[in-house]
Amino acid sequence: MQRIFHTPEGVRDIYGEECGRKRRLQEQIHRVFRQYGYEDIETPTFEYFEVFSREVGTIPSKDLYKFFDREGNTLVLRPDFTPSVSRACATYFFPEQTPVSLCYTGNTFINSSSLRGQLKENTQMGVEHIGDASPEADAEILALTVECLRASGLKDFQISVGQVDYFKSLLAEAGMDEDTIARLRELISQKNEFGVEEMIREQKLSGELSAVFMELPRMFGSVEVLERAKALTGNPEALAAVARLEEIYEILKLYGCQEYISFDFGMLSKYRYYTGIIFQAYTYGTGEPLVKGGRYNELMKHFGRPASSIGFAIVVDNLLSALSRQNISLPGEPETVILSYRKEEREAAVREALRLRGEGKNVALRLEREAGEL
Amino acid sequence: MRYLTFALTKGRLASKTMDMLEKVGITCEEMRDKESRKLIFVNEDLKLRFFLAKGPDVPTYVEYGAADIGVVGKDTLLEEGRRLYEVMDLGFGKCRMCVCGPESARKVLTTNQQIRVATKYPNIAREYFYGRKHQTVEIIKLNGSIELAPIVGLSEVIVDIVETGSTLRENGLKVLEEVCPLSARMVVNQVSMKMEDQRIRGLIADLKKVIE
Repeated sequence: MQRIFHTPEGVRDIYGEECGRKRRLQEQIHRVFRQYGYEDIETPTFEYFEVFSREVGTIPSKDLYKFFDREGNTLVLRPDFTPSVSRACATYFFPEQTPVSLCYTGNTFINSSSLRGQLKENTQMGVEHIGDASPEADAEILALTVECLRASGLKDFQISVGQVDYFKSLLAEAGMDEDTIARLRELISQKNEFGVEEMIREQKLSGELSAVFMELPRMFGSVEVLERAKALTGNPEALAAVARLEEIYEILKLYGCQEYISFDFGMLSKYRYYTGIIFQAYTYGTGEPLVKGGRYNELMKHFGRPASSIGFAIVVDNLLSALSRQNISLPGEPETVILSYRKEEREAAVREALRLRGEGKNVALRLEREAGEL
Repeated sequence: MRYLTFALTKGRLASKTMDMLEKVGITCEEMRDKESRKLIFVNEDLKLRFFLAKGPDVPTYVEYGAADIGVVGKDTLLEEGRRLYEVMDLGFGKCRMCVCGPESARKVLTTNQQIRVATKYPNIAREYFYGRKHQTVEIIKLNGSIELAPIVGLSEVIVDIVETGSTLRENGLKVLEEVCPLSARMVVNQVSMKMEDQRIRGLIADLKKVIE
């Protein structure tokens, strides 16, 4: 096998027009990040395993790319930026005094199963807003998500917002064991009404609790869902969780982006670090979410500096493929002018190229080949 | 309106699904034509498209949104482990996933010794023996006629679908343990469920009435 001509499975070259489009998309999104006052941060491509370990609750250890350094420490290619940015923030900033807003762009690596059509290297752009627990911060993050997607040119999209606390407070009331919770979480995430019903029957919970759990897989849709969620339970914490969503929705009206928002109480992320709202953005033409995000108030504790945080990541490659499937073109860039010249015209050609470039044009200089020259 | 695309499991499940869809007013005449070589069948009035695929491929089409809705056996869902919404038990195609073997193999299932298990469903078998029984086993993946394995001594037991049990009986094998009950399920792509909320939920509600 002539390996040098191929890239390994799950990674690929991006070139030509596609690469140009990707870069322009990234510029558009980055401009929006900056407009919302986010500052850039870069973290290393690999880190100590502990940053992404089980306690942090990112992806399962078996899906991480791991290797060793000279001292035998386990290193990991980052599968997700949030733990890295949180670690960096705990080291260099003081989020307990003033909130910190950071944005990043970079590639993530997940060693997912083969032959499933998923890339193992993906570009993500995202933000983390650390040290702010307010519903205002939740709303602004959602508004920023909408703004980024709008800036990409996408028109038809939806942001589905869940609230992990609702489910968690019901669990606390029900007092189930770990295994049962894990199974229930999976069934609800799969919107498997039938499975949830069967399982809840076995549990012998109070009538009210059973009814809410059984309703969870169906509890998604536009803002009316909030009313239903309130009517179903008397649990004060669950009610507070809904009240928070109502407040966020009110603030979103100020931003004028409530039309993109829907709710889903059955959305329970695999990433266990989420604690309040979680959300995903969807559009036509791609079977996977474009954006994933949420509130993670416990994660910073893991890095020794407790602070409430919220953030999201845009999967740039997914967004790019959705845009091309919907035939949406990105704002164009001026064409490249090709200036070809013969050797004896060199001086004029260089002068002309410099002048055009000075005017902001893109110019490529090409020396014409003499006959017989390779 | 956009097309909603259905991926159906070739064979009995597909025809049963079409029967059920007919009851809620969804038809596809093109599909009834056995001579047809078409791969995609369309109902232009309702903006629906249908195609047939091999069982294990149905979850793949749905996960990536190439199909919005799929109908597939629970066995395939368990084996493939895809990210999907499993919204409904359609109630047909009922059978059981079982550990089977000759009566003499019953004792090796209780002694925790390492045994060989032949199956078409390595993930389900692994999950059952490692996750639930805590027994270390060697799994042998086969692609058909699994019942042969214990007879010719390739394995001690098998993990396979049992419907009536007649193939087992004729070959001197028995159901030794039941792993889980199975039936046909309707699955939905996670993005489609949100983007086509009204249509898909309407369909689910209609089908529920038919089943009950």
